[in-house]
Amino acid sequence: MKIKAFIILFICLTQFFSTSSIGVEPDEVLKNKKQELRARDISKNIRCMVCQNQSIDESNSPLAKDLRILIRNKIKEGNKDEEIYKFLTYRYGDFILLKPPFKFSTYALWLLPFIFLMIGIFVIYSHNKKSKKI
Amino acid sequence: MLLWILVLNIFNYFLFKLYNKKNYIFVSKVLETQAFICAGFILFTLITSNPFERIYPPQSNGLGFNPILQDPALAIHPPLLYIGYVGFSAVFSISVAALALGNNEKIPWFNYMKSFVLAAWTFLSIGIALGAVWAYYELGWGGWWFWDPVENASFMPWLLGTALLHSLIIVEKRKSLQAWVLLLSILAFLLSMVGTFLVRSGILTSVHTFALDPSRGIYILAFIAILGAYSLILFGAKSKKFFDHNYFSFFSKEGSILINNILMVVVCGTVFLGTIYPLIIEALTDNKISVGEPYYNSTAVPIMIPAILIMGVGPALAWKKDDKLRILKKIFPTILLTTIMTICVFFIYQSFSVIGIAGITLAFWIISNNILIFIKKNKNYSKGMIIAHLGIGLLILGITGSSVWQEEKITKMKIGNETKIEKYNIIFEKINEITGPNYVALQGNFLIYDNNKKIVTELKPENRFYPIKNTFTTEASIHTNIFRDLYIVLGEGNLNDGWIVKIYYNPLVIWIWIGSAIIFIGGLVSMNLNLRKLKFL
Amino acid sequence: MKKQILIIPLAVFLLIISAFFYLLIIDRNPSEIPSNLMNKNVPNFKAKLLLKNKDFLSSKEFGNEKVLVNFFASWCKPCRDEHIFIKRFSKEKGIRIVGINYKDKFSNTTKWLSDLGNPYSDIPLDKNGRIAIDWGVYGIPETFIVNSKGIIKYRHVGPITKKVYKKISLLIEEIE
Repeated sequence: MKIKAFIILFICLTQFFSTSSIGVEPDEVLKNKKQELRARDISKNIRCMVCQNQSIDESNSPLAKDLRILIRNKIKEGNKDEEIYKFLTYRYGDFILLKPPFKFSTYALWLLPFIFLMIGIFVIYSHNKKSKKI
Repeated sequence: MLLWILVLNIFNYFLFKLYNKKNYIFVSKVLETQAFICAGFILFTLITSNPFERIYPPQSNGLGFNPILQDPALAIHPPLLYIGYVGFSAVFSISVAALALGNNEKIPWFNYMKSFVLAAWTFLSIGIALGAVWAYYELGWGGWWFWDPVENASFMPWLLGTALLHSLIIVEKRKSLQAWVLLLSILAFLLSMVGTFLVRSGILTSVHTFALDPSRGIYILAFIAILGAYSLILFGAKSKKFFDHNYFSFFSKEGSILINNILMVVVCGTVFLGTIYPLIIEALTDNKISVGEPYYNSTAVPIMIPAILIMGVGPALAWKKDDKLRILKKIFPTILLTTIMTICVFFIYQSFSVIGIAGITLAFWIISNNILIFIKKNKNYSKGMIIAHLGIGLLILGITGSSVWQEEKITKMKIGNETKIEKYNIIFEKINEITGPNYVALQGNFLIYDNNKKIVTELKPENRFYPIKNTFTTEASIHTNIFRDLYIVLGEGNLNDGWIVKIYYNPLVIWIWIGSAIIFIGGLVSMNLNLRKLKFL
Repeated sequence: MKKQILIIPLAVFLLIISAFFYLLIIDRNPSEIPSNLMNKNVPNFKAKLLLKNKDFLSSKEFGNEKVLVNFFASWCKPCRDEHIFIKRFSKEKGIRIVGINYKDKFSNTTKWLSDLGNPYSDIPLDKNGRIAIDWGVYGIPETFIVNSKGIIKYRHVGPITKKVYKKISLLIEEIE
């Protein structure tokens, strides 16, 4: 386990800091600007599975490049954003999304911040109410 | 680890300096707690990562230092961060001592605490800023914050430290909120310990983790468990003595500080949630999810906005209760100033985005409020506060500019080719092979012209190869002025096909660094004033 | 009421610590992602074969017997290290092994196999990496166990080591 983790880290470091810390390359760029923007936005939300600390938009690992090209092809073929995300998460799981999905397992993640806020306001409010009486 | 222990002992020295005839029991208790923490760290170092053990067989040549770490900003980043983290241990110990002893002798523990919170917070601020500086200049992706778990681990104590700084003001002035401050102190320290845990335990992978060893993790976790359980049980049992029943009006200085505290804690809670949620999900189900930047941009960032709004008005409010009309009169000039400055920016950048408007407005709101205070030379305001708040305003300006209006161009260029970004023309002049002290590099020379055909600068990005470590790095080349950064990275290529070149136009980036530096100076000024005050205690 | 509130920080703290503790003591690789295709059908694909003159159709080749699927390439060093274990799977467990050749050159692969030995019943070629993406592969070598009904039952990322070999051997016996 230690060796494996080290190998992956080493590959990452050499990829991450290798000659082209570039990400998207000019020959990948779509001619249609709207489609290219869609591709970039989707790519920015997809985690690079190899390096796991970059999006595929920034990463120069070969898998990132393959996925970038795949996304662009799917956009050209007329797929919607949702379909593309579904395609990727079917194969790689929710982990590949940088923005966690809103489903049963992540309700807590998305709702708790606002619940915290409500609790905070409530605490001050009730403390004040009690203090006013005294 | 040795650094942790060293800094801890330096803090112990300063804690001991507080000692006098009246407070000797208290100071002893504080130092006792510190000693326990110190012993824990020494034991950890000895058992799991002893730096003094011999390597067998002995190595004739070292492996060499990882090239991406060979940078002055990065060398000083950990020590500064550690002063921050360890400073919170002193704050923790003061809190524990106050709780344990029940404060029968009316020791002004909050005065002592303030000095240490100031020190910890100030150095944590600059430590975090230097990490971001290094990421921007060294890593070549034009960004400086990734919401990586270890980055979050430094941000959370900072948030709680900010909350502490503000609520301590209330404790000093109105002797109120003491129990809350005691709890915050404990949580801030526990969070900085969790940061240590995340980096060294191997529980997650990140570019920041270099020690992948669960046995270290178990030790640190057990240590955190002991410290946390003890302090939280102590809090549960003994905090009642510190309760109070003061009333806080919304339109008062206390009110605004309270709102700041709630928001800082909620943001901290959100960042904590985002950081550990993948681990919790993994523990409970067989799934792995990831929480990245989009999550924090949707949750933590919006919650910070009201905090920043209040930051402009808060210092001007009176204690206990303020008159709403008076407040309006006070802030009217700054609202005017803010509107004017915001409109100016839009003339320069000619881009309309809601987030951009929000960010710039907030930034100028803070900046104009504080400049006005400065001009009026009102002695009621703490100089350190004005400077630090001004720093935050500038920071927000930089963050907004560089996030919202960043332009990027990726293109293939052969020698002699020309390309454009914004109003600049960029000519790829030539390629050089150069040698450095421990590397060889391919260097591209790019000439930058503005729209008046005048030369702006020459940028020379490099791709370096370090033979001993057998690694490649990219060195971006950056030209900075107060309006924008021009940032070039050289990709792969050759003389026949040309090279892949990535160019960034990053507006207002320098204000992030200037703002951070000013925050640091504000902290130092406050520390200085605070130390002078303490001598009269 | 107040006393109960004061216990909340402690309770939350202990819960989180327990979760971390649990994660530390179980056998897990923090950077390994579980396959999302677990207990799902083998992806549908068609590919040319390295050594035979016909196409490999996944719909025909899976769903008949237990199969081990190994993604490999001649340029991948860990693949070379683990190959001896792949051969052992074939020899000692008698399981059919399909070796999907990832982004490789014909000449390099044939030489690699003649040097190291060929335990594969078939070698579909994944020239552009699309088959790997369909299998959710992100770091070769990767090895999958597919049961006799064509359902993916297990995946291992990275080279097979002695420890992993033992684990997978047991699984091969258990899985139908």
